[in-house]
Parts: sequence; C-alpha cells; structure tokens
Amino acid sequence: MRMIELRNVSYTYPHTVQDALHDLTFFLPNGSCIMVTGPSGAGKTTLCLAAAGILHHEYGGKKEGSVILDGKNVAGYSGLCELAEKIGIVFDDPEAQMIFTTVEEEILSALEHRGLEASVIEERLSAIMNTTYLSELRNRSPHKLSGGQKQRVALAATLALGNDILILDEPTSELDEHATGRIVAILRNLKALGKTILLVEHKYRHFHELVDILAVMENGRISAIGKPDTVLSDERIRKIVTADFSGIRDVSTGDPRDNTSIATSPETVISVKNLSYSYGDIAALDSVSLDFSSGEFVAIVGENGSGKTTLVKHFNRLLFPASGDVLVKGKNTRESTVTDLARHVGLVFQNPDHMFFADTVQEEVGFGLKNIGITDGIEIIGKALADVNLLHTKDMYPRWLSRGERQRLAIACVIAMRPEIIVLDEPTTGLDGNESRLVMEILKSLQRKGHTIVVITHNREIADNCADRIISMKNGRILSDQRIRGVI
Amino acid sequence: MTEILAYVHKDGFFHRLHPFTKIAFIIVFGLMSILSTNLLFLLVLVAAVLVIAYGASLNNEVFQQFRLIAVMSVVLIGITLITMPSGSTIGYLVPEGIPLIGGSLPVTLGAIDFGLVMTLRFMVLICAFQLFVISTQPRDIVHTMERMKIPTDYTLMFLIALRFIPTLQIEGMRIHEAQLARGYNPGTGLIGKVRSVAPVVVPLVSNALSRADVLGLTIDIRGYRTGKRTHLREFAFHMRDYSILFLMAIVSCVYASLYVNQIL
Repeated sequence: MRMIELRNVSYTYPHTVQDALHDLTFFLPNGSCIMVTGPSGAGKTTLCLAAAGILHHEYGGKKEGSVILDGKNVAGYSGLCELAEKIGIVFDDPEAQMIFTTVEEEILSALEHRGLEASVIEERLSAIMNTTYLSELRNRSPHKLSGGQKQRVALAATLALGNDILILDEPTSELDEHATGRIVAILRNLKALGKTILLVEHKYRHFHELVDILAVMENGRISAIGKPDTVLSDERIRKIVTADFSGIRDVSTGDPRDNTSIATSPETVISVKNLSYSYGDIAALDSVSLDFSSGEFVAIVGENGSGKTTLVKHFNRLLFPASGDVLVKGKNTRESTVTDLARHVGLVFQNPDHMFFADTVQEEVGFGLKNIGITDGIEIIGKALADVNLLHTKDMYPRWLSRGERQRLAIACVIAMRPEIIVLDEPTTGLDGNESRLVMEILKSLQRKGHTIVVITHNREIADNCADRIISMKNGRILSDQRIRGVI
Repeated sequence: MTEILAYVHKDGFFHRLHPFTKIAFIIVFGLMSILSTNLLFLLVLVAAVLVIAYGASLNNEVFQQFRLIAVMSVVLIGITLITMPSGSTIGYLVPEGIPLIGGSLPVTLGAIDFGLVMTLRFMVLICAFQLFVISTQPRDIVHTMERMKIPTDYTLMFLIALRFIPTLQIEGMRIHEAQLARGYNPGTGLIGKVRSVAPVVVPLVSNALSRADVLGLTIDIRGYRTGKRTHLREFAFHMRDYSILFLMAIVSCVYASLYVNQIL
C-alpha cells in the first residue's frame, strides 16, 4: 500500500520564476520511513508542504503533477480539515507551533477535535506525555521552554493526532544528542506500529537505523534517492548527507598571514570567576570559573539547558553576573557597556533571522561598523563577505538568502567588527554536511588570523574535529575541561 | 521577565470561575465604566476590580500595568487640557507673566475632570480584561466563545492575537540582544528611541509574518475547523458562578435605574 506518492510534482511559488520543486517522483509504502536531506534552500520544506497536501489547498503558484495520500489524490480531499485526519506535520519553526499557554493544553488542542471520547483523550494525553517525556513540563508555558523542549511539544501535539502519515521538518534541529536519541526511539516505535514517516533531517548518523529510503535534494530536484547504502556510495552525495569535519583542525590555507598569532604567546582574553546566575528560581550557572586564551578554538558542549548560552551572554554583558565576575581583556564587564564590549566580543546567535533588517547584505554588515564608529567601511565589508564566501550576494536582500548563507552572513556581520573573540551559538543548526563544514572552515581560518573562537554546539563531531579545547557543561557547572591540542 | 497578558497558572477563586461568568463580569464592569461620568463611581469600580484582583491572588500582575496606566493618564489629561477647555479656569499652562503667549492654554476643571474620567475608565477596562485573560486558559476562552455562537474565524483571530503578545515580547527581547551584540546603541530620549526602531522592529515584523503562516496551518491541522469537539474537562456552572451572575444582574439593574434617573 502506497501511503505517500508523488508523481512528477513541480511547483513554483507565486511571484517567483525559479521552480521550488522540479519533477519529483517517488512513493512511500505503508510503514516505511524516508529521510530527505540536502543543502538549505533546496526545497525540503516545500516538499513537506507538497506531500502534506497543504501546497495544493493553501498556496497559490504554479502546480504540476499529483500527490496521492493513502490512495487518494490530495485534490480529492476537501481541504485541511480532511487532511488533518490523515496526516500529522511538524514544521521547522517550533515557536510558531506553540499556540496555547501550557504544554498540556497544547497537546489537548490536537486531541479535542477528533471526535474522541473524553476517556480516550485522557488516556492518549498521558500516554503521549510519557513517551515524549513531557510530564514534568505539563503546566509550563510553552513560550518559556527552550528551543529543544518546544520541538518536543510540537512533536507531541502532532503525535497526539494519531494519524498514519507523519511529516517531520527538521524536528530535532535544536535538540542535543541525548534528546535526539529519544526522538529516534519514539519514531522507531511509531514505525513499528506501521506509521509512514517523511523526515527532513540533517542528522543521518542518528536516524540511519530508521531510514528505508534516503533522498537528497538540491535546487528543487531529487539528485539521489534509494537505499541508504546505494545513495551514500557516491562520494559527493555522502558529503552532503553526513558532515565530514575530519582534518579541519590541521588544514592550512597556505596564507602567509596564517599562524602569526600562534607565534606570539597567548594571553588570557576572558576570565570568568565564580560566576553564578539564575532565572527566577532556576539556577542557570553555579560558580563557574574559566579562562580563555587568545587564539584558542574552544567548543562548549552540553545538553539543552546546561547553561552554555547563559555563560556566553555574560561575555558581552547581555547578562549581568548575579555573583562573581567576568573580565574581558582584563577589564571587569561590570565597568563596561555592551557597546564597548561589542568591539572585543562578537556574539553570533543561533537564529540569524534575529538580526537582519537592512535592505542589502552590504548594509547589514555595515550596521555593526557604524555602531563602533567606522562609517567608511566598504573595504572591510567586502573583506568580511569574501571571508564567508558571500561577496556575490552583497546587493541582495538578506532574508532572501538560504539558511546556510544567512548563517554565514551573521558571521560576516560580527567579524567585520574585528572582535578578538568570536562566540557562536550552534552555528551549524539547519545546515547540511557541506555547509556545516564550510562554516567550521571559516571559523578555523579566523582562528589562524588570531581570533579566539568559542563555539557552543550539540554536535560532538564538531567539538572533536575542530576544537583545541572542549568544555563540557551540565546543570550550570563545568563537567570537564579538556585540551585536545597543547596551546602554550 | 513577566509576560504581558499571558495565562498565570494559579488556583485562585477567579481561576475557578466559569469563563462565561468572567465574560459577564467584564461586560457589566465595562459598560458601567463607559456609561458613567461620575468620578466617585468610577473610583468605586476601580477599587472593586482591585479587590477582586487581590482576592484572586493576581494583584501583582494587575499592579504591573499601573506604570503604563500612569503614563497613559498623563497623556490623556494633557490632551484634554489642550483640546477641551471647559468650566472654571484654575491656572494656565503658560504662566501669565510671559509676554505675548502668557495666559494661553488654560487649565480648566472641566478638562481635568474629563481626563480623570477617561483615565479611570481605561483603568477599569484594562484591569478587568487582564484579570479575565490571565486567569483563563486560551482553550477555555475559545470554547466559551464557541458556545456563545461567535463564528470560529473570530474566536481563532482572538486566540491568535492573544497568543502573539508574549511571543512578540520574547522575540523582541531576543532581537534586541542580538543587535546589542553588534554594538547597537538604542540611544536615549525620544529621538534616540525613534531612530533605534528599525533594527528591532523590522526583524520582529518579518519574523512574525512568516510565523503567522505556520501558526495558521498548525491550527487547521489540529482540526480546529472540523467542528467535531469533545467537551473535555468543561467548566461546569457552580454555586459561585450563579452567585456572581446573580450579583452582576443586581448591580446592572441598580446601575440602570440610577443611570436612567440621571443619578450616576
């Protein structure tokens, strides 16, 4: 029985010329799982909308081909109401799927409109809460949860629908290794129950045991599809599917400016002393003491909510120590302003869309420069964009770039200001293997130019392959602080 | 950070009331405050709302609105002073001693009275609405509105509007932080504030717009339009609801008779 079938599906969004999907044909038998991966902007989210029938019923634009769900063409469904009984979909933005004010209410909202008996609803609610480990968050407000927790709530609400077809668009992008493992386990059970799963993901390594069919999309086309082993036998495709960070630590660009910093003896650039911080009653940092030396490449790893982001927000005084001190270049942050610190510490947040407001990429980079008093920065802007391979986009509208490009633009915005220390929060979220490697290579070359790089990441491979030092955090404390390569 | 108009999970008496009772309370108090021009009566209404807030253990949340209300009252009274002078003059905004323009913009009792009436009305409306919203889960609000035969599209619109307030607040803070990290200096004073709007508001609006799309789809996929709803953990009318509805009815009748006889 074919649960999802696409026949020559092409789609062009309204007011655009380039087709977002181009002649896609594949089918998924009952109880199977397809994982779709590929670079950002390849059309993976559009594919999810197409396969869910949403594109057909809710979007304009040029549509060709047909999508068949459970033996019935989506055109034959009366609309989302009827589709809602067949499919469950988790979108890639967890925040947008949080409608209500408690986790329980969020899940109930999916259960109450299915014509079920009240007792069945209660039963299903507690079952879903248990399988998704949300029981303890039952009365919490979804808006106050971490990104990873929100993703779990969004998934739980979708699972609550109890439909046979599940379409999941990057459901684990903000989850740590442990939480991703839990999602894999949940999906394994669902698959065993005969659910058909269309999964858009970048974490093939985690999901490989579930995947029956692996598809790689590029530029709206499926460039490879089939059994995972067959697909991965192609070297080029493999680099898209699984990020290969090997050798990044030792790659030399041959640039004579490289290694200049390593010759000079390192100094302490950031010194954290007995730092504690809490959000209301929840202790986020518990007497953390750390030193960062110039020219280091540090990875901070740890589970969701272990205090990683809270720690780095203290470096440029976005957070003010409740107790303890943070010294940046010898000066206590209590005596500095955020604007002053921005010259020394550049912070790239997880979601690049939180910063873009200018009309062109070039202006966007120029904003930071103007803030620190550099008005004639054309050359610096060009250099920063060239460093992240985005010079060709300088006149484009920042929000039209793909996710991978936007991530690199966010890095350019920060490096243009020439801070000695560059801190990045999960810089590879939502990026495919090639894009992730590119970002890490850029960071490595910045390190060689003398910058101190601090990367927060869930991805152990990044830490193992790129960092000189790995700091592991748990419950607001430093669990381990390990040097991979001797920095003097 | 406290979220504006977000549901507060507590077990106060106001939380336990049926949403319909609370809606009746808002309507009665809202109408009385809008119709009345008697300062003393409006003060009584404000006091009543605050007593209820205190009884519902939601006084802290309600008091947080007072800064906003204070700013609003200054603006309101300022506007009425300038635009609606009436009654006896007690002074001038521009002192009489100043040549040419001295003695303009009179401060009149009528204008102050009207400004105060407007302020108190807003106080009643804002506080009563806030009490309702922070003590009722949005799901229950939606269901009660459905029961009141308000079309689904409108109830969902109301739900989304409510739901976007804390989101925009949190999102705005994140964007502000991201821009601060780029050395952005919001500036002080009115001009500084106006100049610094774009770096925060542009990403805020763009993100909200793209989010609205997914939000709409999510609501549809959860089946809100199917019309098949299981009435689960529905609020039942209890003695407390009947008592309060009865009280509201009496208050309305008394007020109506006083209003018709032009006492209030």
